[in-house]
Amino acid sequence: MKESSDTRVLPSTPVERLRLYGVFFFFFAGFVYVIGGLAFRQLIQSSDLKEQSDTQSRRVVLRPPARGRIYDRNGFPLVDNRARWSVKADLASLQKEFRGEYLRLVAAEKAREAVSIDREKLMEDARVRVLQGWLNKVWFVIDETNRNTTKGRKSPAKLTPVTAPAERQINIDELRKHLRERRALPFTLVNDLAFPGTGQALTADDGTKSVARFIEQFPVEGPIRLEQDIVRTYPYGAMAAHVLGYVKDTDALPDNVDDISEVRVESLQKLHYTGKTGAAGIELSYNYVLSGRSGWELWSKTSSGYNQTRLKFSEPAQGGNVMLSIDYRIQQAAESSLAKLKDPQGNLLPAAAVMIDVHTGEMLALASQPSFDPNRLADRVSSKYYDEIDKAGGWLNRATQGLYAPGSTFKVITATAGMRKKVVDWDDVLECGAFFKVGNRDYPEHEPVGFGDVNLDKMLAVSCNVWNYQVGLRTGIEALAAESRRFGLDAPLLQTVSDVETGGQAMTELPFAASRGLVVPDREYKLRIGAGAWNDGDTANLSIGQGYLLTTPLHMACVAASIARGETRTVPSIIHSVERNGRHQGSQPIGLNPNQLEALRGGMVRCVEEGTARVARIPGLPYAGKTGTAEYFKKGEKAHLAWMIGYAPAENPVVAFAVLVEGQVDTNTWGGKTAGPVVKEMLETWWPIAAKANQDEKPKAAR
Amino acid sequence: MDQNRQGARASYIALSIFVALWILVPSAVRRFNREAFVEFQAPALHLVGKSRDMATFWEKKSRSVEEMTAAGRDLARINAALEIKINALEDIRRENVRLREITRYNVPAEYMSVVARVATRDSSSWWQRIVIRKGRNDGIRPGAPVVFGNTVVGRVTAVHLTTSEVDLVTSPGFRCTAYLEGDDQNHIVLVNGVASNSLGTAKARVSVIPRDYSMPAGQPARVFTTGMGGVFPSRLVIGYLDGGTYATQVGSFKESLLIPSRDLYNLQEVSVLVPLHQNPGEALMQGDQFQ
Repeated sequence: MKESSDTRVLPSTPVERLRLYGVFFFFFAGFVYVIGGLAFRQLIQSSDLKEQSDTQSRRVVLRPPARGRIYDRNGFPLVDNRARWSVKADLASLQKEFRGEYLRLVAAEKAREAVSIDREKLMEDARVRVLQGWLNKVWFVIDETNRNTTKGRKSPAKLTPVTAPAERQINIDELRKHLRERRALPFTLVNDLAFPGTGQALTADDGTKSVARFIEQFPVEGPIRLEQDIVRTYPYGAMAAHVLGYVKDTDALPDNVDDISEVRVESLQKLHYTGKTGAAGIELSYNYVLSGRSGWELWSKTSSGYNQTRLKFSEPAQGGNVMLSIDYRIQQAAESSLAKLKDPQGNLLPAAAVMIDVHTGEMLALASQPSFDPNRLADRVSSKYYDEIDKAGGWLNRATQGLYAPGSTFKVITATAGMRKKVVDWDDVLECGAFFKVGNRDYPEHEPVGFGDVNLDKMLAVSCNVWNYQVGLRTGIEALAAESRRFGLDAPLLQTVSDVETGGQAMTELPFAASRGLVVPDREYKLRIGAGAWNDGDTANLSIGQGYLLTTPLHMACVAASIARGETRTVPSIIHSVERNGRHQGSQPIGLNPNQLEALRGGMVRCVEEGTARVARIPGLPYAGKTGTAEYFKKGEKAHLAWMIGYAPAENPVVAFAVLVEGQVDTNTWGGKTAGPVVKEMLETWWPIAAKANQDEKPKAAR
Repeated sequence: MDQNRQGARASYIALSIFVALWILVPSAVRRFNREAFVEFQAPALHLVGKSRDMATFWEKKSRSVEEMTAAGRDLARINAALEIKINALEDIRRENVRLREITRYNVPAEYMSVVARVATRDSSSWWQRIVIRKGRNDGIRPGAPVVFGNTVVGRVTAVHLTTSEVDLVTSPGFRCTAYLEGDDQNHIVLVNGVASNSLGTAKARVSVIPRDYSMPAGQPARVFTTGMGGVFPSRLVIGYLDGGTYATQVGSFKESLLIPSRDLYNLQEVSVLVPLHQNPGEALMQGDQFQ
């Protein structure tokens, strides 16, 4: 009986039953709550939760593409990409080492009975120590000096060279920034193995050896990786730097048209490697074309935020190429010739040289001095180098941005205006003495005894000022200014880049070309700037290219090209295109009769043969030229600008040119004497190239 | 029944204790155990290699007299051709010595050559790794290049007392710099093995090939060592470019697959070029310093 009473399981009293039902109800309610909650999350909230989960457990890493190349007109690469070998540490793989080092540091702190332990600081120290250890090993392998010193088994740390430039030390600030912003990406130990930027002068060969030593000697497996990416390189250094421009870092990477939906999710964490964008020159104006398409990688991440598995990816695609109208051989000749122009202290004289195709307006050379090496701006720019360029005035592209009085090269426009207004004709002879009186002031000739009887031909050959004073005053400021405008001296002549190529941004082929600063003075202009009423003295000054008139060397090269074609306007372009038809927007016939035009051109030929440009004469190549020497003030003291413009050959012209040299207070700078040799060297380089091109064309024509 | 249960329980307990001990013992003990196992295995590997040699010997010995005569005749012809080549090379060597004497240029010997028979291939990575019958006792050190004639076979990755493990050119652990035949500017390219699926064909990849590089017409382009990395002597043949090169999407460079210059499957004998002076990378490969 006792046993039966012990095995009783159901409550017999109402109170007990009530309690039991209460417990049942409690458990049932709990069960319903759990199941209901589960169903709610699975059926109703599932899509939101999945997105939340994806957001928390995945990330997108964006990779910049390689930029397109820039070629010269013959297909020689002027801007290219080179492989950059970087050594990087995979922080996720180093977690164990960080932890071990951290525990050692904590133990050491405890052993010396420290009052308080700053665990954050110790963790940072541990990371730095571990990474420094690996960096030492990297340098131990790549440093040439270790090769002959390693005998026996010495520890790597002892063999690390004593010298410790910045690149050989872990930069704590960079590490902190990396952990804060890009923890999931590998940390860079050596940015560029071939050119480590340590300040030591590594040759290209040394750089290659460093890369080779690392590749062959450093263990393949482990937390240290060799990564290869692309860096912009300019094979000819500073050549055509103002045309090509340079690139700078950007976080705004170009879009990827094949973006997967995950990449477009706004809430998904996105990390990106630093990309490059154009900062000047063609790199800037054609940035949209050159940029390419970014790549992306979709990663799952660990709970501590490191990348774990790459789930999907899309490779970056290289940008398009751009072919310039520049011929690198002529460009090199122009720059090497300009580089010979120095002041007594040995500093380069600021100067510019332009050569353009008479018919198409394509520029074969566009040089500006002083310049800069875009290679040194392509990666990490040192403020010292930046300041050096700044101080030398190297940022300014003098060919397109420099504003100068054109001096006597303007006399071709004065003569054209005079003949068009019929105040002088091609065979009129004017008496030209040592000076010409305008109002109360004597305007001098540059030849103390004057030139006597001067016609158009002689005027251009000897660059007679008095002839121009007379013709300028007869023509009047309105006609002179109008003629200048007809030749485009008030207009930004450079082609604009099409919307398609800029992505809708309005831009000229060479950004920041002078437009606002160009001055073709007239009565209104002088009143506008508050300089009073226009007078005959101003007209006399303008007639010889002095006074308020400001233009660029590119504009003057275009004037020469226009005269060569017998037209008024040339639209220059830096882009090579076989479809260019030789029509120039806004151009008109020059408006001179054949005799007048012949005399104008003949005078320019005579200028080279026996006149002020004879120093630049090239036997066997008759060509047309006009020199100019303009006064300007540099820091309050008088100095001279040397000019020469023209076209070649004299018959059937092919190229036109303009050279400008900024003389200094202490330099002896004169048009033909200073600018002439530069023209001569450019033409001597161009001539055989053109002759060979002609020879190559003839068989094609015969076929 | 109870006895069986007790026995099973004891086995589980023993296994648990062993696993716990294995986890807890210092890494040096574990390394010693691993080394001891390799050394224990070494005689067996030697025996396998020698048995194969013996089998080859008897297989050749069983050939008919006619076959042997024909082979002997072919060999005589090859010998005659080689004699001429040796004479030509001797002339070049003498000229080389003469020029060095004139310029007083002394070239120190940089490598010691150790000839080793292949014992076996590592079964876990059939194509990628071989074991050779020479080890620490024979002066072999880790990192040393392994060649056959003037072609690269791979690199020593682990050295034991009497055997060594060699990562073949197709191993993912193999990496070296190279020049391409027909590249006048001698750009360096990267050669590394590619991880392949089990039973898949082992491959190596040549990357960072300049985009304007074009292979010489009519022949596969050879891939040479550069000698710049301090491990491989220069101008050893690593292999041939596989048919063509293809551009990667990021542009600027091309890639190609590499055909190793030797049939790695049938290697019987190799030479290990042990550097006379230790290079920095070798120091890093010493386990006690590197880890």
